[in-house]
Amino acid sequence: MIVAERKCVPELLDIIKDLQNLLVLGCGTCVTVCLAGGEREVGIIASALRMTTKLNDLKINVEELTIERQCDNVFIEQAAEAIERNDAVLSLGCGAGVQAIAERYPEKPVYAGLNTTFIGILEERGVWTEKCAACGNCVLHNFGGICPVTRCAKHLLNGPCGGSKEDRCEVHPDRECAWQLIYQRLKNIGQLDRLKKITPPKNWKSSLAGGYRTIIREDHRI
Amino acid sequence: MKPDSKLAQKIEKGEFVLTAELLPQAQTDGQAVLAVSKALSGNGIAAVNVADNHYGIVMSSMAASAALTRDGVEPVFQMVTRDRNRIALQSDLMGAAFLGIKNVLCLTGYHQSLTGNEASANVFDIDSIQLIALVKRMRDEGCLLEGTAFTGEFGMLIGAVANPFMTPLELNMIRLAKKVEAGADFIQTHAIFDIEKFEAWMTAACREGITEKAAILAGVMPLDSADEAKKHGDMFTDFVIPDNVLERLEGAGNAEAQKQEGLAIFAETVQKLKTIKGLRGIHILSGGKETRIPELLAAVELK
Repeated sequence: MIVAERKCVPELLDIIKDLQNLLVLGCGTCVTVCLAGGEREVGIIASALRMTTKLNDLKINVEELTIERQCDNVFIEQAAEAIERNDAVLSLGCGAGVQAIAERYPEKPVYAGLNTTFIGILEERGVWTEKCAACGNCVLHNFGGICPVTRCAKHLLNGPCGGSKEDRCEVHPDRECAWQLIYQRLKNIGQLDRLKKITPPKNWKSSLAGGYRTIIREDHRI
Repeated sequence: MKPDSKLAQKIEKGEFVLTAELLPQAQTDGQAVLAVSKALSGNGIAAVNVADNHYGIVMSSMAASAALTRDGVEPVFQMVTRDRNRIALQSDLMGAAFLGIKNVLCLTGYHQSLTGNEASANVFDIDSIQLIALVKRMRDEGCLLEGTAFTGEFGMLIGAVANPFMTPLELNMIRLAKKVEAGADFIQTHAIFDIEKFEAWMTAACREGITEKAAILAGVMPLDSADEAKKHGDMFTDFVIPDNVLERLEGAGNAEAQKQEGLAIFAETVQKLKTIKGLRGIHILSGGKETRIPELLAAVELK
């Protein structure tokens, strides 16, 4: 899922300080699961903004609403009236949600209330980690299902760097080296030979190097 | 095209090779380069590595390498893949050949956060092994990665780096073998403070047939104090400094005594390494202590 985290209240205050009526709009999908932008967080952020605006002698009405999915026009429709009656939207959706709302309402300022961070999983309660960089050309089959593009700080494709340790990454003392994990995993599943082959330079065109990406499914077009 | 640097010739003749290291500084007047040129006149150093923004942002390794060439000192031009994509790397490689540079060392480089540039974007378009293969292609086929032919001479001797202390040994050997398969002519190792472990690594490298395909030069770093050793060990995971080395430095006493002890450890390490089977030379990690190279050479009677 997409994992995001909340912007801090002072930053949000700076974004909204000139408004009179603000809609804080949550999203019921990924950001609800990662506890950043669902109905509960909309309530918390809206309350925090009411308090901080009052403390700063600002008069801003804060309305709350959460829709099922901000990245889908069908669901955005459900927020139409609330969006219309406010000066601006503070979206607690991911970056895709924020932009979907902005595209749908060209005359309405839409601001991001979250920092969209990565595609990842819930590792343990309260801890999320990145697993996929969405490079557009998946190589997981070569690396025992562990992604070096995402999980190695240098995106190395031919083995660990010289600073690799069995219990840590060169860069982060609290993180395992992805290449140590790949080596162990390939060894365990009897595929260490994959590691012995030289992986040529990656074609990054399918990643962000080629600009934003689109997928067109002709079989699904009307 | 066949590599024709002095370093290449010495390796080919089977001579025991000595290389040293220059860390360019954050300066535009080239004083650091000049100091190395002076310190190296008339001794047995075959070539001097020129680090590529190793610990932070400094004068470019290509400029400093060209300056050494001008002064008659043969450089090993270090290139990290952290800061340049394949376009810039290939462009700089052609530029380096034009400037008379004949040896290149291919590295990935420390992560930018370890060089005090945490906010910087990194590149890592290709890794060190892919860079080795790229340089080999340029040299042997006279063309760039995408197949475009280029004109002119390109006789680069290709170097790579290995950390003998990276474990498990099996993974270490896989990585080393790939570097050699990709085209590394010589390997310079990270700093060695633990001879026994290095010997085990060399035995494995001999067993894997690495030593027949590439010349391994053992990296030896002179330490000036226990504090310096600890600082390196804390900051960089590739520095593995055993307790007995730290204890010797600490036990030596004041700053000058520690410096002398560091020199003694350096000399002992070199003497022991010279007896190890398959080793083809010593790489003195003199970076930052360039002016002490004559003293270091004298200490180990390598001059």
